[in-house]
Amino acid sequence: MTPDLKVSIAGVKFANPIMTASGCCGYGEELAQLFPLSKLGALVTKSITLKPRPGHRPPRTAETTGGMLNAIGLANVGVDCFLSDKVPFLSKQKTKVIVNVAGSTLQEYVDICARLNDCERVDMIELNLSCPNVDEGGMVLGVDPALTEKTITAVKKVFSKPVIAKLSPNVTSIVEIAKAAERGGADALSLINSVVGTAVDPETWRPRLTYNKGGLTGPAIKPIALAMVDAVYSNCRLPVIGIGGISSYRDVIEFLLCGATAVQVGTALFIEPDIPVKIIRDLTGYLKKRKLKSVCDLVGKVRKY
Amino acid sequence: MIRPACEDTFVIKNRNLGNGYYSLTFGPYSRASECKPGQFVHIRLLGADVFFRRAFSVANVSTNNNEIEIILKVVGRGTKVMAGLRKGDLVNLLGPLGVPFKLPKKNETTLIVAGGIGVPPLLFLVYKMIRRGCDPKQIIFFYGGCSAVDIVKRSRIKKMGVTFLPVTEDGSLGETGLVTEFVEMYLLARRTDRFRIYGCGPPGMLKATNDLGLKYGIPGQLSLEAPMPCGIGVCLGCVVELTGGGYARVCRDGPVFDIGEVVL
Repeated sequence: MTPDLKVSIAGVKFANPIMTASGCCGYGEELAQLFPLSKLGALVTKSITLKPRPGHRPPRTAETTGGMLNAIGLANVGVDCFLSDKVPFLSKQKTKVIVNVAGSTLQEYVDICARLNDCERVDMIELNLSCPNVDEGGMVLGVDPALTEKTITAVKKVFSKPVIAKLSPNVTSIVEIAKAAERGGADALSLINSVVGTAVDPETWRPRLTYNKGGLTGPAIKPIALAMVDAVYSNCRLPVIGIGGISSYRDVIEFLLCGATAVQVGTALFIEPDIPVKIIRDLTGYLKKRKLKSVCDLVGKVRKY
Repeated sequence: MIRPACEDTFVIKNRNLGNGYYSLTFGPYSRASECKPGQFVHIRLLGADVFFRRAFSVANVSTNNNEIEIILKVVGRGTKVMAGLRKGDLVNLLGPLGVPFKLPKKNETTLIVAGGIGVPPLLFLVYKMIRRGCDPKQIIFFYGGCSAVDIVKRSRIKKMGVTFLPVTEDGSLGETGLVTEFVEMYLLARRTDRFRIYGCGPPGMLKATNDLGLKYGIPGQLSLEAPMPCGIGVCLGCVVELTGGGYARVCRDGPVFDIGEVVL
Protein backbone atom coordinates (compact mmCIF):
# COMPACT_ATOMS: atom_id res chain seq x y z
CA MET A 1 0.00 0.00 0.00
CA THR A 2 1.28 3.46 -0.87
CA PRO A 3 1.64 5.59 2.24
CA ASP A 4 -0.47 8.71 2.45
CA LEU A 5 1.60 11.89 2.16
CA LYS A 6 -1.33 14.28 2.35
CA VAL A 7 -1.35 16.87 5.11
CA SER A 8 -3.82 19.55 6.08
CA ILE A 9 -3.04 22.93 7.61
CA ALA A 10 -5.81 25.27 8.70
CA GLY A 11 -8.22 23.49 6.39
CA VAL A 12 -5.96 23.72 3.34
CA LYS A 13 -5.11 20.30 1.93
CA PHE A 14 -1.63 19.66 0.57
CA ALA A 15 -0.61 16.69 -1.60
CA ASN A 16 2.46 16.23 0.56
CA PRO A 17 4.34 18.09 3.32
CA ILE A 18 7.11 19.43 1.04
CA MET A 19 7.01 23.13 0.21
CA THR A 20 9.63 25.40 -1.33
CA ALA A 21 10.73 28.18 1.01
CA SER A 22 10.22 31.83 0.21
CA GLY A 23 13.13 33.50 -1.55
CA CYS A 24 14.43 30.21 -2.89
CA CYS A 25 12.05 29.59 -5.79
CA GLY A 26 11.16 33.03 -7.16
CA TYR A 27 7.57 32.86 -8.42
CA GLY A 28 7.96 29.32 -9.71
CA GLU A 29 8.82 29.89 -13.37
CA GLU A 30 12.45 28.79 -13.19
CA LEU A 31 11.88 25.71 -11.04
CA ALA A 32 9.06 24.59 -13.33
CA GLN A 33 11.71 23.95 -16.00
CA LEU A 34 13.36 21.41 -13.71
CA PHE A 35 10.35 19.51 -12.40
CA PRO A 36 6.55 19.76 -12.51
CA LEU A 37 5.46 22.01 -9.67
CA SER A 38 2.50 19.69 -9.14
CA LYS A 39 4.96 17.45 -7.28
CA LEU A 40 5.12 20.03 -4.49
CA GLY A 41 2.85 20.31 -1.51
CA ALA A 42 3.06 24.06 -2.00
CA LEU A 43 5.15 26.77 -3.52
CA VAL A 44 5.90 29.74 -1.27
CA THR A 45 6.69 32.81 -3.34
CA LYS A 46 9.48 35.31 -2.87
CA SER A 47 8.38 38.02 -0.41
CA ILE A 48 6.02 40.47 -2.05
CA THR A 49 6.13 44.12 -1.00
CA LEU A 50 3.75 46.96 -1.81
CA LYS A 51 6.16 48.60 -4.27
CA PRO A 52 8.81 46.82 -6.35
CA ARG A 53 12.23 46.65 -4.69
CA PRO A 54 15.54 46.32 -6.52
CA GLY A 55 17.29 44.87 -3.48
CA HIS A 56 20.74 45.61 -2.10
CA ARG A 57 23.92 46.19 -4.07
CA PRO A 58 25.91 43.01 -4.78
CA PRO A 59 27.57 41.06 -3.29
CA ARG A 60 24.36 39.85 -1.68
CA THR A 61 25.38 36.28 -0.89
CA ALA A 62 28.38 34.54 0.58
CA GLU A 63 29.23 30.88 1.02
CA THR A 64 29.90 29.82 4.61
CA THR A 65 30.64 26.52 6.30
CA GLY A 66 27.60 24.33 5.72
CA GLY A 67 25.46 27.17 4.52
CA MET A 68 25.25 30.65 3.12
CA LEU A 69 24.66 34.25 4.09
CA ASN A 70 22.30 36.42 2.13
CA ALA A 71 21.19 40.00 2.21
CA ILE A 72 19.17 40.22 -0.98
CA GLY A 73 17.09 43.03 0.50
CA LEU A 74 13.63 41.77 -0.47
CA ALA A 75 14.18 42.30 -4.19
CA ASN A 76 10.79 41.63 -5.77
CA VAL A 77 8.37 42.83 -8.42
CA GLY A 78 5.81 44.38 -6.04
CA VAL A 79 2.23 43.28 -5.45
CA ASP A 80 0.73 44.85 -8.60
CA CYS A 81 3.22 43.21 -10.97
CA PHE A 82 2.89 39.96 -9.02
CA LEU A 83 -0.85 39.91 -9.60
CA SER A 84 -0.65 40.89 -13.27
CA ASP A 85 2.51 39.06 -14.41
CA LYS A 86 3.16 36.16 -12.05
CA VAL A 87 -0.28 34.91 -11.02
CA PRO A 88 -1.24 33.86 -14.60
CA PHE A 89 1.66 31.38 -14.61
CA LEU A 90 0.89 30.20 -11.09
CA SER A 91 -2.76 29.70 -12.05
CA LYS A 92 -1.68 26.95 -14.44
CA GLN A 93 0.27 25.09 -11.74
CA LYS A 94 -1.44 22.28 -9.90
CA THR A 95 0.02 23.00 -6.50
CA LYS A 96 -0.96 25.14 -3.55
CA VAL A 97 0.34 28.70 -3.69
CA ILE A 98 1.38 30.48 -0.53
CA VAL A 99 2.28 34.12 -1.05
CA ASN A 100 4.90 35.50 1.29
CA VAL A 101 4.18 39.10 2.27
CA ALA A 102 6.61 41.67 3.65
CA GLY A 103 5.70 45.18 4.72
CA SER A 104 7.75 48.04 6.08
CA THR A 105 4.80 49.20 8.19
CA LEU A 106 1.72 47.53 9.60
CA GLN A 107 -0.38 49.43 7.08
CA GLU A 108 1.67 48.02 4.21
CA TYR A 109 1.01 44.46 5.36
CA VAL A 110 -2.70 45.28 5.43
CA ASP A 111 -2.64 46.93 1.98
CA ILE A 112 -0.81 44.02 0.33
CA CYS A 113 -2.99 41.37 1.96
CA ALA A 114 -6.17 43.22 1.01
CA ARG A 115 -5.11 43.08 -2.63
CA LEU A 116 -4.17 39.42 -2.41
CA ASN A 117 -7.54 38.63 -0.86
CA ASP A 118 -9.22 39.15 -4.22
CA CYS A 119 -6.87 36.72 -5.95
CA GLU A 120 -8.38 33.26 -6.17
CA ARG A 121 -5.06 31.56 -6.91
CA VAL A 122 -3.62 32.51 -3.52
CA ASP A 123 -4.34 29.64 -1.15
CA MET A 124 -2.67 31.11 1.92
CA ILE A 125 -0.36 33.93 2.84
CA GLU A 126 2.77 33.74 4.90
CA LEU A 127 3.66 36.93 6.74
CA ASN A 128 7.37 37.61 6.67
CA LEU A 129 7.66 39.07 10.16
CA SER A 130 11.29 38.17 10.29
CA CYS A 131 13.43 39.39 7.39
CA PRO A 132 16.77 40.40 8.91
CA ASN A 133 17.90 42.22 5.77
CA VAL A 134 15.94 45.43 5.64
CA ASP A 135 16.14 48.50 7.81
CA GLU A 136 12.42 48.89 8.36
CA GLY A 137 9.48 46.58 9.05
CA GLY A 138 9.99 42.84 8.94
CA MET A 139 12.05 41.81 11.87
CA VAL A 140 11.25 44.96 13.82
CA LEU A 141 7.67 43.74 14.05
CA GLY A 142 8.58 40.09 14.38
CA VAL A 143 10.77 40.47 17.46
CA ASP A 144 8.08 42.31 19.41
CA PRO A 145 5.19 40.16 20.70
CA ALA A 146 2.70 43.04 20.87
CA LEU A 147 3.47 44.24 17.33
CA THR A 148 3.35 40.68 16.02
CA GLU A 149 -0.09 40.20 17.50
CA LYS A 150 -1.31 43.57 16.22
CA THR A 151 -0.05 42.98 12.68
CA ILE A 152 -1.68 39.58 12.41
CA THR A 153 -4.97 40.84 13.84
CA ALA A 154 -4.99 43.65 11.28
CA VAL A 155 -4.17 41.31 8.38
CA LYS A 156 -6.82 38.80 9.42
CA LYS A 157 -9.44 41.54 9.06
CA VAL A 158 -8.67 41.99 5.35
CA PHE A 159 -7.57 38.51 4.30
CA SER A 160 -10.17 35.76 4.50
CA LYS A 161 -8.01 32.70 3.81
CA PRO A 162 -5.55 31.21 6.32
CA VAL A 163 -2.56 33.24 7.46
CA ILE A 164 0.83 31.79 8.38
CA ALA A 165 3.19 33.83 10.53
CA LYS A 166 6.86 33.23 9.67
CA LEU A 167 8.93 33.65 12.77
CA SER A 168 12.45 34.89 13.34
CA PRO A 169 15.00 32.93 15.36
CA ASN A 170 16.68 36.21 16.30
CA VAL A 171 14.66 36.62 19.49
CA THR A 172 15.05 35.87 23.17
CA SER A 173 12.06 33.52 23.20
CA ILE A 174 10.47 32.30 19.99
CA VAL A 175 7.70 30.72 22.07
CA GLU A 176 6.68 34.20 23.28
CA ILE A 177 6.36 35.39 19.69
CA ALA A 178 4.56 32.22 18.65
CA LYS A 179 2.01 32.72 21.41
CA ALA A 180 1.55 36.34 20.37
CA ALA A 181 0.93 35.21 16.79
CA GLU A 182 -1.62 32.74 18.09
CA ARG A 183 -3.39 35.48 20.05
CA GLY A 184 -3.38 37.65 16.94
CA GLY A 185 -5.29 34.97 15.08
CA ALA A 186 -2.59 33.30 12.98
CA ASP A 187 -3.71 29.98 11.51
CA ALA A 188 -0.26 28.43 11.37
CA LEU A 189 3.37 29.22 12.13
CA SER A 190 6.43 28.72 9.94
CA LEU A 191 9.90 28.73 11.43
CA ILE A 192 12.65 29.59 11.25
CA ASN A 193 13.67 32.49 9.06
CA SER A 194 17.42 33.06 8.65
CA VAL A 195 19.79 33.58 11.56
CA VAL A 196 21.59 36.94 11.61
CA GLY A 197 25.24 36.52 10.77
CA THR A 198 28.12 37.98 8.84
CA ALA A 199 31.48 37.17 7.28
CA VAL A 200 34.51 39.36 6.63
CA ASP A 201 37.28 39.09 4.04
CA PRO A 202 40.59 39.03 5.97
CA GLU A 203 42.42 40.45 2.92
CA THR A 204 40.24 43.50 2.20
CA TRP A 205 38.77 43.87 5.72
CA ARG A 206 35.40 44.23 4.01
CA PRO A 207 32.24 42.38 5.02
CA ARG A 208 31.36 39.83 2.36
CA LEU A 209 27.93 41.45 1.95
CA THR A 210 27.35 45.13 1.13
CA TYR A 211 24.59 45.16 3.75
CA ASN A 212 27.41 44.32 6.21
CA LYS A 213 25.40 41.46 7.68
CA GLY A 214 22.88 38.95 6.43
CA GLY A 215 20.83 35.89 7.18
CA LEU A 216 22.47 32.51 7.62
CA THR A 217 20.65 29.58 6.01
CA GLY A 218 21.41 26.02 5.01
CA PRO A 219 22.40 22.88 6.95
CA ALA A 220 24.36 24.98 9.46
CA ILE A 221 21.10 26.26 11.02
CA LYS A 222 19.17 22.98 11.07
CA PRO A 223 19.81 22.14 14.75
CA ILE A 224 18.68 25.65 15.76
CA ALA A 225 15.53 25.32 13.69
CA LEU A 226 14.73 21.87 15.05
CA ALA A 227 15.02 22.99 18.66
CA MET A 228 12.76 25.97 17.95
CA VAL A 229 10.17 23.85 16.14
CA ASP A 230 10.17 21.51 19.12
CA ALA A 231 9.75 24.38 21.59
CA VAL A 232 6.94 26.01 19.63
CA TYR A 233 5.13 22.72 19.01
CA SER A 234 5.31 21.90 22.71
CA ASN A 235 3.94 25.27 23.80
CA CYS A 236 1.51 26.30 21.08
CA ARG A 237 -1.59 24.79 19.53
CA LEU A 238 -1.02 26.07 16.01
CA PRO A 239 0.26 23.81 13.25
CA VAL A 240 3.96 24.33 12.59
CA ILE A 241 5.78 24.39 9.24
CA GLY A 242 9.46 23.60 9.79
CA ILE A 243 12.18 25.46 7.90
CA GLY A 244 15.96 25.43 8.24
CA GLY A 245 18.61 23.55 6.32
CA ILE A 246 16.41 20.72 5.05
CA SER A 247 18.32 18.87 2.33
CA SER A 248 17.11 15.26 2.52
CA TYR A 249 14.13 13.11 3.54
CA ARG A 250 15.92 12.33 6.81
CA ASP A 251 15.97 16.05 7.64
CA VAL A 252 12.23 16.15 6.90
CA ILE A 253 11.61 13.26 9.28
CA GLU A 254 13.50 15.04 12.05
CA PHE A 255 11.31 18.11 11.64
CA LEU A 256 8.10 16.08 11.55
CA LEU A 257 9.13 14.16 14.67
CA CYS A 258 9.76 17.47 16.43
CA GLY A 259 6.24 18.60 15.61
CA ALA A 260 6.20 20.10 12.12
CA THR A 261 3.15 19.22 10.02
CA ALA A 262 4.95 20.28 6.86
CA VAL A 263 8.37 21.63 5.90
CA GLN A 264 9.91 24.11 3.52
CA VAL A 265 13.03 23.40 1.51
CA GLY A 266 15.09 26.50 0.82
CA THR A 267 18.82 26.78 0.35
CA ALA A 268 19.06 23.13 -0.78
CA LEU A 269 17.21 24.17 -3.96
CA PHE A 270 20.25 26.22 -4.94
CA ILE A 271 22.39 23.10 -4.97
CA GLU A 272 19.84 20.53 -6.19
CA PRO A 273 16.93 22.40 -7.74
CA ASP A 274 14.95 19.17 -8.16
CA ILE A 275 15.56 18.06 -4.55
CA PRO A 276 11.84 18.20 -3.58
CA VAL A 277 11.14 15.36 -6.02
CA LYS A 278 13.90 13.22 -4.49
CA ILE A 279 12.78 14.04 -0.96
CA ILE A 280 9.18 13.04 -1.71
CA ARG A 281 10.34 9.78 -3.32
CA ASP A 282 12.62 8.92 -0.40
CA LEU A 283 10.05 9.94 2.22
CA THR A 284 7.55 7.57 0.62
CA GLY A 285 10.18 4.82 0.73
CA TYR A 286 10.84 5.46 4.42
CA LEU A 287 7.15 5.34 5.33
CA LYS A 288 6.75 2.09 3.42
CA LYS A 289 9.76 0.54 5.09
CA ARG A 290 8.51 1.57 8.53
CA LYS A 291 5.00 0.38 7.61
CA LEU A 292 3.50 3.77 8.40
CA LYS A 293 0.17 4.54 6.75
CA SER A 294 0.45 8.30 6.82
CA VAL A 295 3.14 10.92 7.06
CA CYS A 296 1.02 12.44 9.85
CA ASP A 297 1.97 9.45 12.01
CA LEU A 298 5.40 11.06 12.46
CA VAL A 299 4.27 14.48 13.63
CA GLY A 300 5.44 15.24 17.16
CA LYS A 301 6.47 11.64 17.79
CA VAL A 302 10.03 12.34 18.91
CA ARG A 303 10.79 9.93 21.75
CA LYS A 304 12.23 12.32 24.27
CA TYR A 305 14.37 11.28 27.23
CA MET B 1 14.60 26.68 -25.12
CA ILE B 2 16.38 23.63 -23.77
CA ARG B 3 15.34 22.83 -20.23
CA PRO B 4 18.28 22.62 -17.87
CA ALA B 5 18.67 19.49 -15.77
CA CYS B 6 20.96 17.96 -13.17
CA GLU B 7 23.03 15.10 -14.54
CA ASP B 8 25.79 12.95 -13.09
CA THR B 9 28.83 12.62 -15.30
CA PHE B 10 32.49 11.73 -15.06
CA VAL B 11 35.85 13.37 -15.46
CA ILE B 12 37.29 12.09 -18.74
CA LYS B 13 40.45 14.15 -18.66
CA ASN B 14 42.12 16.71 -16.41
CA ARG B 15 44.97 18.43 -18.18
CA ASN B 16 47.29 20.77 -16.28
CA LEU B 17 47.94 23.77 -18.52
CA GLY B 18 50.49 25.25 -16.10
CA ASN B 19 50.43 28.20 -13.72
CA GLY B 20 47.17 27.06 -12.04
CA TYR B 21 45.21 26.63 -15.28
CA TYR B 22 43.45 23.31 -15.94
CA SER B 23 41.39 21.93 -18.76
CA LEU B 24 38.72 19.47 -17.61
CA THR B 25 36.67 17.26 -19.90
CA PHE B 26 33.43 15.68 -18.65
CA GLY B 27 31.35 12.94 -20.21
CA PRO B 28 29.22 11.22 -21.15
CA TYR B 29 27.01 14.28 -20.86
CA SER B 30 23.71 13.92 -22.68
CA ARG B 31 23.30 17.65 -23.06
CA ALA B 32 26.72 18.33 -24.62
CA SER B 33 25.26 19.01 -28.05
CA GLU B 34 22.71 21.41 -26.57
CA CYS B 35 25.36 23.70 -25.08
CA LYS B 36 25.80 26.97 -26.95
CA PRO B 37 28.75 29.38 -26.77
CA GLY B 38 28.32 31.72 -23.81
CA GLN B 39 26.32 29.19 -21.80
CA PHE B 40 27.65 27.62 -18.65
CA VAL B 41 27.32 24.52 -16.51
CA HIS B 42 26.90 24.66 -12.74
CA ILE B 43 29.10 21.98 -11.25
CA ARG B 44 28.48 20.18 -8.00
CA LEU B 45 31.54 18.66 -6.43
CA LEU B 46 30.31 15.50 -4.79
CA GLY B 47 31.77 14.76 -1.39
CA ALA B 48 33.85 17.95 -1.34
CA ASP B 49 33.69 20.54 1.42
CA VAL B 50 32.28 23.27 -0.82
CA PHE B 51 28.68 24.29 -0.36
CA PHE B 52 27.55 25.88 -3.61
CA ARG B 53 27.94 24.61 -7.12
CA ARG B 54 30.55 26.38 -9.23
CA ALA B 55 29.70 27.96 -12.57
CA PHE B 56 31.97 27.46 -15.60
CA SER B 57 31.54 28.59 -19.19
CA VAL B 58 31.60 25.78 -21.69
CA ALA B 59 34.94 25.97 -23.54
CA ASN B 60 34.16 23.32 -26.13
CA VAL B 61 31.93 20.35 -26.78
CA SER B 62 32.45 17.08 -28.58
CA THR B 63 29.01 16.17 -29.86
CA ASN B 64 30.25 12.80 -31.16
CA ASN B 65 31.48 11.70 -27.73
CA ASN B 66 28.97 13.70 -25.66
CA GLU B 67 31.76 15.48 -23.86
CA ILE B 68 32.22 19.05 -22.71
CA GLU B 69 35.37 20.91 -21.80
CA ILE B 70 35.82 23.68 -19.27
CA ILE B 71 38.96 25.61 -18.45
CA LEU B 72 39.62 26.91 -14.97
CA LYS B 73 42.20 28.79 -12.98
CA VAL B 74 42.72 27.94 -9.33
CA VAL B 75 41.55 31.00 -7.40
CA GLY B 76 39.78 29.60 -4.33
CA ARG B 77 38.43 26.56 -2.54
CA GLY B 78 36.15 25.33 -5.31
CA THR B 79 38.66 25.60 -8.12
CA LYS B 80 41.31 24.00 -5.89
CA VAL B 81 39.11 20.93 -5.47
CA MET B 82 38.40 20.87 -9.18
CA ALA B 83 42.08 21.04 -10.07
CA GLY B 84 42.51 17.83 -8.06
CA LEU B 85 39.80 15.91 -9.92
CA ARG B 86 40.98 12.77 -11.65
CA LYS B 87 39.78 10.66 -14.53
CA GLY B 88 36.71 8.70 -13.45
CA ASP B 89 35.68 11.09 -10.65
CA LEU B 90 31.95 11.77 -10.47
CA VAL B 91 30.56 15.29 -10.75
CA ASN B 92 27.03 16.58 -11.21
CA LEU B 93 26.36 19.14 -13.93
CA LEU B 94 23.35 21.46 -13.94
CA GLY B 95 22.95 22.93 -17.36
CA PRO B 96 23.16 24.19 -19.95
CA LEU B 97 22.37 27.54 -18.31
CA GLY B 98 22.32 31.17 -19.32
CA VAL B 99 21.83 33.22 -22.45
CA PRO B 100 24.29 32.34 -25.25
CA PHE B 101 26.18 34.73 -27.54
CA LYS B 102 24.41 35.97 -30.66
CA LEU B 103 26.60 34.96 -33.60
CA PRO B 104 27.99 37.74 -35.81
CA LYS B 105 26.62 38.67 -39.22
CA LYS B 106 28.45 37.51 -42.37
CA ASN B 107 29.96 40.88 -43.37
CA GLU B 108 31.36 41.65 -39.93
CA THR B 109 34.93 41.35 -38.70
CA THR B 110 34.84 39.63 -35.32
CA LEU B 111 37.03 41.05 -32.61
CA ILE B 112 37.58 38.60 -29.80
CA VAL B 113 38.81 40.27 -26.62
CA ALA B 114 39.88 37.65 -24.11
CA GLY B 115 41.56 38.35 -20.79
CA GLY B 116 43.20 35.63 -18.72
CA ILE B 117 40.72 33.02 -17.57
CA GLY B 118 37.99 34.80 -19.56
CA VAL B 119 39.01 32.86 -22.65
CA PRO B 120 36.80 29.70 -22.42
CA PRO B 121 33.45 31.00 -23.75
CA LEU B 122 35.27 32.87 -26.52
CA LEU B 123 37.14 29.74 -27.60
CA PHE B 124 33.83 27.91 -27.88
CA LEU B 125 32.34 30.84 -29.80
CA VAL B 126 35.19 30.82 -32.32
CA TYR B 127 35.08 27.02 -32.74
CA LYS B 128 31.36 27.28 -33.40
CA MET B 129 31.72 30.16 -35.84
CA ILE B 130 34.32 28.29 -37.86
CA ARG B 131 32.26 25.07 -37.81
CA ARG B 132 29.38 27.14 -39.12
CA GLY B 133 31.51 28.21 -42.09
CA CYS B 134 32.78 31.57 -40.90
CA ASP B 135 36.09 32.59 -42.54
CA PRO B 136 38.79 32.44 -39.83
CA LYS B 137 40.50 35.40 -41.48
CA GLN B 138 37.51 37.50 -40.42
CA ILE B 139 38.24 36.69 -36.77
CA ILE B 140 40.80 38.74 -34.86
CA PHE B 141 41.62 36.99 -31.59
CA PHE B 142 43.04 39.42 -29.02
CA TYR B 143 44.13 37.65 -25.88
CA GLY B 144 45.57 39.54 -22.93
CA GLY B 145 47.22 38.32 -19.76
CA CYS B 146 49.70 39.35 -17.10
CA SER B 147 52.33 37.08 -18.55
CA ALA B 148 52.85 34.42 -21.26
CA VAL B 149 51.71 31.69 -18.84
CA ASP B 150 48.25 33.32 -18.71
CA ILE B 151 47.74 32.85 -22.45
CA VAL B 152 46.54 29.24 -22.58
CA LYS B 153 45.52 27.05 -25.52
CA ARG B 154 47.81 29.02 -27.83
CA SER B 155 48.42 26.24 -30.34
CA ARG B 156 44.68 25.52 -30.59
CA ILE B 157 43.93 29.17 -31.30
CA LYS B 158 46.67 29.39 -33.95
CA LYS B 159 45.50 26.13 -35.56
CA MET B 160 42.07 27.62 -36.16
CA GLY B 161 43.60 30.03 -38.64
CA VAL B 162 42.39 33.19 -36.91
CA THR B 163 44.56 36.27 -36.57
CA PHE B 164 46.01 35.69 -33.10
CA LEU B 165 47.24 38.78 -31.26
CA PRO B 166 48.47 38.02 -27.74
CA VAL B 167 49.20 40.94 -25.42
CA THR B 168 50.96 40.61 -22.08
CA GLU B 169 51.52 43.19 -19.37
CA ASP B 170 55.11 42.04 -18.83
CA GLY B 171 55.89 41.66 -22.52
CA SER B 172 56.73 37.96 -22.23
CA LEU B 173 54.47 37.15 -25.19
CA GLY B 174 53.20 39.28 -28.06
CA GLU B 175 52.69 42.99 -27.55
CA THR B 176 53.40 44.67 -24.23
CA GLY B 177 50.59 46.46 -22.41
CA LEU B 178 46.87 46.08 -21.90
CA VAL B 179 44.94 44.12 -24.47
CA THR B 180 42.27 46.79 -24.90
CA GLU B 181 44.93 49.39 -25.89
CA PHE B 182 45.79 47.21 -28.89
CA VAL B 183 42.14 46.58 -29.69
CA GLU B 184 41.67 50.34 -29.93
CA MET B 185 44.72 50.74 -32.17
CA TYR B 186 43.33 48.04 -34.44
CA LEU B 187 39.96 49.78 -34.61
CA LEU B 188 41.59 53.09 -35.48
CA ALA B 189 43.69 51.49 -38.21
CA ARG B 190 40.63 49.94 -39.86
CA ARG B 191 37.92 52.51 -39.54
CA THR B 192 36.03 51.30 -42.61
CA ASP B 193 35.47 47.71 -41.43
CA ARG B 194 32.23 46.59 -39.81
CA PHE B 195 33.14 45.11 -36.48
CA ARG B 196 31.50 43.07 -33.77
CA ILE B 197 33.18 42.65 -30.39
CA TYR B 198 32.98 39.68 -28.02
CA GLY B 199 34.70 40.07 -24.68
CA CYS B 200 35.29 38.09 -21.52
CA GLY B 201 37.87 38.73 -18.86
CA PRO B 202 38.62 40.60 -15.63
CA PRO B 203 36.41 43.56 -14.61
CA GLY B 204 38.85 46.25 -15.80
CA MET B 205 39.19 44.65 -19.21
CA LEU B 206 35.43 44.22 -19.53
CA LYS B 207 34.88 47.87 -18.69
CA ALA B 208 37.53 49.03 -21.18
CA THR B 209 36.01 46.79 -23.89
CA ASN B 210 32.52 48.08 -23.11
CA ASP B 211 33.84 51.66 -23.33
CA LEU B 212 35.49 50.96 -26.70
CA GLY B 213 32.24 49.60 -28.07
CA LEU B 214 30.36 52.67 -26.92
CA LYS B 215 33.06 55.13 -28.07
CA TYR B 216 33.28 53.73 -31.60
CA GLY B 217 29.66 52.61 -31.92
CA ILE B 218 30.59 48.96 -32.33
CA PRO B 219 28.01 46.36 -31.33
CA GLY B 220 29.03 43.39 -29.31
CA GLN B 221 28.57 41.29 -26.25
CA LEU B 222 30.37 40.65 -23.01
CA SER B 223 30.28 37.55 -20.86
CA LEU B 224 30.24 38.36 -17.15
CA GLU B 225 31.31 36.41 -14.13
CA ALA B 226 29.69 36.46 -10.69
CA PRO B 227 29.54 34.08 -7.75
CA MET B 228 26.30 32.19 -8.31
CA PRO B 229 24.53 30.30 -5.55
CA CYS B 230 21.74 28.83 -7.68
CA GLY B 231 22.63 29.45 -11.33
CA ILE B 232 18.98 29.22 -12.44
CA GLY B 233 17.69 32.66 -11.48
CA VAL B 234 15.89 32.04 -8.21
CA CYS B 235 18.23 33.28 -5.49
CA LEU B 236 18.94 36.77 -6.93
CA GLY B 237 22.47 36.59 -5.54
CA CYS B 238 24.50 37.18 -8.72
CA VAL B 239 22.96 40.43 -9.92
CA VAL B 240 24.63 43.17 -11.96
CA GLU B 241 23.40 46.75 -12.27
CA LEU B 242 21.72 47.69 -15.54
CA THR B 243 22.50 51.03 -17.19
CA GLY B 244 18.75 51.53 -17.54
CA GLY B 245 18.28 51.06 -13.79
CA GLY B 246 17.63 48.04 -11.62
CA TYR B 247 19.48 44.77 -11.58
CA ALA B 248 19.75 41.76 -13.87
CA ARG B 249 20.63 38.23 -12.88
CA VAL B 250 24.00 37.25 -14.35
CA CYS B 251 22.99 33.58 -14.36
CA ARG B 252 19.59 33.88 -16.00
CA ASP B 253 19.45 37.22 -17.84
CA GLY B 254 23.13 36.79 -18.75
CA PRO B 255 25.94 35.82 -18.42
CA VAL B 256 26.13 37.39 -21.89
CA PHE B 257 25.05 41.03 -22.03
CA ASP B 258 25.14 43.54 -24.88
CA ILE B 259 27.75 46.27 -24.81
CA GLY B 260 26.24 49.24 -22.98
CA GLU B 261 23.64 47.15 -21.18
CA VAL B 262 25.26 46.80 -17.77
CA VAL B 263 27.20 49.03 -15.38
CA LEU B 264 30.77 47.75 -15.26
